[in-house]
Amino acid sequence: MKNTIKVQRAIKDVTQAQLADIIGVSRQTISAIEKNKYVPSTVLALKLARYFEVQIEAVFELTEED
Amino acid sequence: MGKSYLLPHRFKKFGWVLLILGMIMGTAMRFFEIDADYFGRIPFFSVVSERNILTHEKHFFEIVENGFLDELVAILIIIGGILVGFCKTKVEDEFISQIRLSSLVWSVYVNYGILFLAVLFVFDMSFFDVMIFNMFTVLLFFIVRFHAQLYKSNRF
Repeated sequence: MKNTIKVQRAIKDVTQAQLADIIGVSRQTISAIEKNKYVPSTVLALKLARYFEVQIEAVFELTEED
Repeated sequence: MGKSYLLPHRFKKFGWVLLILGMIMGTAMRFFEIDADYFGRIPFFSVVSERNILTHEKHFFEIVENGFLDELVAILIIIGGILVGFCKTKVEDEFISQIRLSSLVWSVYVNYGILFLAVLFVFDMSFFDVMIFNMFTVLLFFIVRFHAQLYKSNRF
């Protein structure tokens, strides 16, 4: 799965730490998701999409391997 | 979300103090060959004690006098280790929980891998030493692994 969190963050102009604070997770988690080292739960994915005010598919997208 | 069985974050620092104190004391006891009754003996309520190794004579439910230093060290390491290992991190989220779980699995494998080798290759009183260390190693391996993984994830 790939994601556009870095881009979405740039649009909202928030740092990893700020986003982590808003969503209620650790900065490591945001960083790990951005680096495709961690696939978030549905709840966390939905929270991120809600904050970015986009559909969840605009943030997360399946890849060939999935 | 199921129960996490984790302890509040605020006890973690206290856990580090106990754990480090216990480890320093335990290491000193071994290194300088300090006896368990170095600071004297105090009465304990003993559920079972085998006094004579040859006859296997066991005594149940009685008060015994015992050097308390080894008990103290073990309790410090156990309570300290549990607190350090299982107090929540500042923000204990799903990613941290995954690191926690994989570190725990890793440490159980490593711990029993080492024990497996020790069973095959270490004998007599040396194996007794292995058992003493093995009481704590699963917890210590977990703490080291978990914090190393946390540190690593903090850097990228």
